[in-house]
Amino acid sequence: MTAFLAIYIISLSFVPLVHDTLLSRNAWLGYGTGAYAYQGQNYFVLFNDPYDGSSKPHVQINPTFAPNDRIPIIEFSDWTSYVDGFNFFNDFNVTIRPAGQTLDVTYSRPDILLHKFVTANPNNITVEMVSDKEFTAHLELWRWVMTSVNGMTIKDTPKPTQIPITTQIEFTFQEDSLQSTGTGEIVLSRVPVQIMIWPFENGFNKITIDFVNSEMSLTVSGTMTPVGRTYPTWNYWDLPYVLPVVAILVVAAYLLVDKRGKKNKDRASRSSR
Amino acid sequence: MLLALAVRLAIAPFFMHAGDVGTIYESSAMALNGGNLYDFVYAKTLQMQQATGLPVFFEGYAYHPLLIYFFVPFYWLSTLFAGQYPVMIDGHYPSLPILVYPWAPIMLLLIKIPIILADVAVVYILAGIDTRKAEIYAFCPYVVFISVVWGMLDAIVAIFLLTSYLTFSRNSLLSGILYGLSLMKLYTIVLLPLFVVRLFGKWKEMLQFMGGLALTVLPVAYFLIVSPTSIWNVLVTFQGGRIMGGVNFYNFIWVVQDIHFDLGISMIANIMLLVSIVLLLPKFGRKGPLLEAILAFMLASFLFGKVLNEQFLVSIFPLILLCKECDSRLWVAPFAFIFLRSPFYYFALPILWASPIFYNSYLQADTVWRQVQAAGYLQIPMYAVGIGFSLLLFWNLLRILDSTSALTDVTHRQTRGFMRGLIRTLGPVRLATLRPCRAVFAFFSNSRPRNRTWRK
Repeated sequence: MTAFLAIYIISLSFVPLVHDTLLSRNAWLGYGTGAYAYQGQNYFVLFNDPYDGSSKPHVQINPTFAPNDRIPIIEFSDWTSYVDGFNFFNDFNVTIRPAGQTLDVTYSRPDILLHKFVTANPNNITVEMVSDKEFTAHLELWRWVMTSVNGMTIKDTPKPTQIPITTQIEFTFQEDSLQSTGTGEIVLSRVPVQIMIWPFENGFNKITIDFVNSEMSLTVSGTMTPVGRTYPTWNYWDLPYVLPVVAILVVAAYLLVDKRGKKNKDRASRSSR
Repeated sequence: MLLALAVRLAIAPFFMHAGDVGTIYESSAMALNGGNLYDFVYAKTLQMQQATGLPVFFEGYAYHPLLIYFFVPFYWLSTLFAGQYPVMIDGHYPSLPILVYPWAPIMLLLIKIPIILADVAVVYILAGIDTRKAEIYAFCPYVVFISVVWGMLDAIVAIFLLTSYLTFSRNSLLSGILYGLSLMKLYTIVLLPLFVVRLFGKWKEMLQFMGGLALTVLPVAYFLIVSPTSIWNVLVTFQGGRIMGGVNFYNFIWVVQDIHFDLGISMIANIMLLVSIVLLLPKFGRKGPLLEAILAFMLASFLFGKVLNEQFLVSIFPLILLCKECDSRLWVAPFAFIFLRSPFYYFALPILWASPIFYNSYLQADTVWRQVQAAGYLQIPMYAVGIGFSLLLFWNLLRILDSTSALTDVTHRQTRGFMRGLIRTLGPVRLATLRPCRAVFAFFSNSRPRNRTWRK
């Protein structure tokens, strides 16, 4: 019975690893209280549950030199984004449905119906907003922090600044945990009305985009480059590899203690005879 | 006993588990106003499922219908102080509650009274058997934490399970009622096959026991008539279809963020639980001491069942204390687990919310905690403690099995003689200390206590 339990526990400890390597890739998976996540070849995308207005979605990159790491590129916030003056998080009914590589998020209220399609491609992530009529949007995209946006640094613009209208936004950032630098790019499908960047500490933590249209897509991509030599780092996504080790160690410790206990018991009963 | 009561009363107003106390508070208010708790929870679940397209459930009131009526009078008392406006708003994960001062601590004290009374009753009964065991229960940090810091109601399950066991051989009707009341949290349902098999052939006792059980299940029948879909969804679909995890070796599943996969693999635990119960039935169904039989079933369900929350052990802790084969230090593992899963300050919200300075400290500490959690540092010790606790449960289960095997060898020849001899040896000492609580049972069961048979 003990052997069975030991095998049962150790076998189950491999479940996260099996799921992670065989089943979790290239599909929108729901979890928790209704969040969805997509792990692609190069990108990880989180679309948070309906009770949280952050990460709607949050695009992260898996660097080639540290494939288990997830480095944030940009986060769309529903807390602070608006359509026709209505807040995405507070003022809409939301439904989320996966459809292949795309997550279809429907925002509805009596006078507006808007879809946010989040599509995971091998080389980029597209966030497309579509409605059957024209709408005015104010989007806020966050990252702590971007060291430059379209070539501008905090030295150039210490105050919130409107940057020249464009359909291509490029930004850079540093990732201290991996001793690396990164670049991100957001390509807009339509010309916006206004783009602003917001300073925070040593860089910018927010890009706001205002536009008027019936559709707009933002294609997000990024790259990471190591600075010097990189060292292995620990992160949450290494857990599937560690749990079997934990299981084996704890079960082995139990078996050892149990064996020793039985030996002592036998010895005691022999000496008492 | 008075000291145990004093300790609990002193702690109760200042601590809580926001989600669990919030559920009881919200449900008490709803029940007092005549609302249907199951309809409310089911509506919330449907809303979540509609929004997400996922089989997610609203974690609200998913208990026996009678349970809330233990709390409603105390909720009503709190409204006499605080008025009709809520003093605790929300608190369901992931939201943090809003507390209204100075009424929130008063409400917390009052709403925990049924749990405190249950704890005190357990101490009283244990004191009638063995004062040392009563002391362990009264001042065990784990029990105190679950009952009054956390505000979880497993002590109510504990008192009913303990009394059901103690009255089983003396008054089947009362034992059936008490067992039915222990189903306030549904996990003691695994004992039903044991009781049925044990009473099989003793038709009068069986009828009385089942009659008592049926009395307590009447409210469930009522809800099955008035809102069948809601109660079925909340009590059966939710409880039966939960994702595995807790203080057990199944908590690796928290790393796997895929709800459909998680639900599928959780079926393994259901199958294992069923198999373990089926295997235990021939061993304990007809023979062996009832105490060990109950513990074997409960330990097996904790070991193989898919959900084992930190507080569940409280329900059988008095029985563990009575069992010679079990190690009462089992509580250490779930107690440690509490602090790995939730930061200690989370339970002190009523204190921390009282001042902007404390509130700010909370936010700072929480940022650090979340970073540690997000890095996965806590998942490793949680998994290790989960496996360790499962193995300790297994070790205790094996000891019970070994002891009853030895006992069964003897009883094959001379069951009654052996038990009589055992009771004769232990009886005078124990029965002398038991008189007060036996008198209580005699009063409830309306029968004279029969000497030297209560523990069989």
